[in-house]
Amino acid sequence: MPVSAAYVSKEAATNLWRNRLMTVAAILTVAVSLALVGSSLLLKQGASKATVQWQNGVQAIVWVKPAAGATLTTSIGSELHQSPYIKSCVFRSQSYDYSEAKTILPADELDATNQADYPSSYRCVLNDPSQASQVYQQFTGKAGVASVKYPGQQIKTMQSVIRILQWVFLSVAVVLLLSASVLILNTIRMAIFARRREVSVMKLVGATNWFIRLPFMAEGLIQGLAGAAVAVLVVLALYFGIGLDTPKTAANQGSIIAQMSLGGWEVAGTCILVAVVGVVVGVVGSAFAVRRFLDV
Amino acid sequence: MIKFQNVTKTYKGSTVALRDCSVDIDKGEFVFLVGPSGSGKTTFIRLLLREEMPDSGRIWEAGKEIGHLAKWRIPYLRRNIGCVFQDFRLLPNKSVFENVAFALEVIGRPKHVIATQVPQVLDLVGLTKKRDNLPHELSGGEQQRVAVARAFVNRPLILLADEPTGNLDPTTSLGIMKLLDRINRTGTTVIIATHDAGMVDQMRRRVIELDRGVLVRDQAHGVYGIDSATAAAGAGSPTGSMVEQAPTALSTNELPDSFAART
Repeated sequence: MPVSAAYVSKEAATNLWRNRLMTVAAILTVAVSLALVGSSLLLKQGASKATVQWQNGVQAIVWVKPAAGATLTTSIGSELHQSPYIKSCVFRSQSYDYSEAKTILPADELDATNQADYPSSYRCVLNDPSQASQVYQQFTGKAGVASVKYPGQQIKTMQSVIRILQWVFLSVAVVLLLSASVLILNTIRMAIFARRREVSVMKLVGATNWFIRLPFMAEGLIQGLAGAAVAVLVVLALYFGIGLDTPKTAANQGSIIAQMSLGGWEVAGTCILVAVVGVVVGVVGSAFAVRRFLDV
Repeated sequence: MIKFQNVTKTYKGSTVALRDCSVDIDKGEFVFLVGPSGSGKTTFIRLLLREEMPDSGRIWEAGKEIGHLAKWRIPYLRRNIGCVFQDFRLLPNKSVFENVAFALEVIGRPKHVIATQVPQVLDLVGLTKKRDNLPHELSGGEQQRVAVARAFVNRPLILLADEPTGNLDPTTSLGIMKLLDRINRTGTTVIIATHDAGMVDQMRRRVIELDRGVLVRDQAHGVYGIDSATAAAGAGSPTGSMVEQAPTALSTNELPDSFAART
């Protein structure tokens, strides 16, 4: 028998209103935890945008002139491998570097170049990161080498701060999400208790199990979604509030926020993820309550 | 309609509730289930509602064996069974009409069906005028009539009643019994578990007696206890029974068409 959506939503709304104090508590907890999840995701995405070349422990980059040719490029590679400062190097082709540049360079700057003008590179991990300047001295000016770059103190600090923030945010968020599930479970347990007479009559006259369960499940779903909606607002406020929506241009290259600039799709993705987690938390909490306390 | 075949049911850590019980009840029968407290009457009812499963033996009900019924089918079984209890089990915040309508709503009956069937059944139980009252505004007998209306509104094949008159005075009880008798005349099988000796003696219907889980008596036109049975036999004729005296007065003619159609 199909359960009508109107019936389910009406019953769920009645339950939520009857139990509004607990409902508000559950929604707020979901909202706070999901806001933390969402903002740490934004930060992480922004940070990886700003530091995309310095991922995976890369500590120095040797840019090879586009005109260097295969032989010269290979010889730079073998020289790097023999260098006492360098642990390992990965070669990145022109096409790889060009597509990476598309994600980090302002559009107006990139327009002036094409793939053939773009350098290939060696991404190197050092034996001792503090020796980056020695690598710089050794390879700068060599035949075929365009330039040698290593991350400045600013990037290193930013990476470590963001890493710490991320872990703090995520662990707080996980704890809060757990307590949100428990709060939702408890609201639904109370709703089930308040309606035990109705439930027993429903069972007696032959209402199907899903007919009895769905309003309670919907209740949890609504709480999760409402919390997620608040969290999405917080994420959007953060995004527009600190200017992560400002596109990168040649003029604002100095600003770290502009380096972290995120596109609409990335924010939309974060919001969708937040909503999905909200739904999961609500449904899991209510499913638990229904399994445990609704004897059908 | 109902068949118990060597049914045994034991509750955890306690005595046997029903022992090797075999019984047949045909469609349209009116049966009293009697016996002292703890004799297994309620277990009998609960087995029929599939709230319990037998430890051994088999039970057929409405053409299906219910011992091994899949869990998701139980609601559909219960739609064929109306049930009335001693404590009425009405929803206190719903009116008489809403209480009866609730039974149809939750099994997904459309609104127009509810709008026609609920007034019919309220008319049958004589509560048309009180349709908008809340349960606490009604007397015990009236509340039980609402419960009967709710049990019958879906036209079940079987109506079970567990001590339906346990909370009511004798006069009111008689009214409820007459109502159940009337429902029985529409072709519904009625099974009543009761302590009410006077009522059983008056009605002179089939009596199944249980004692500590064992079926000790199954009598076609029985009375409540062996004592009253011998007393009645000694008197030569059954004591006056309102229902038996005027069976034709409760013919199907006075029922609404839809009820008569069931017979």
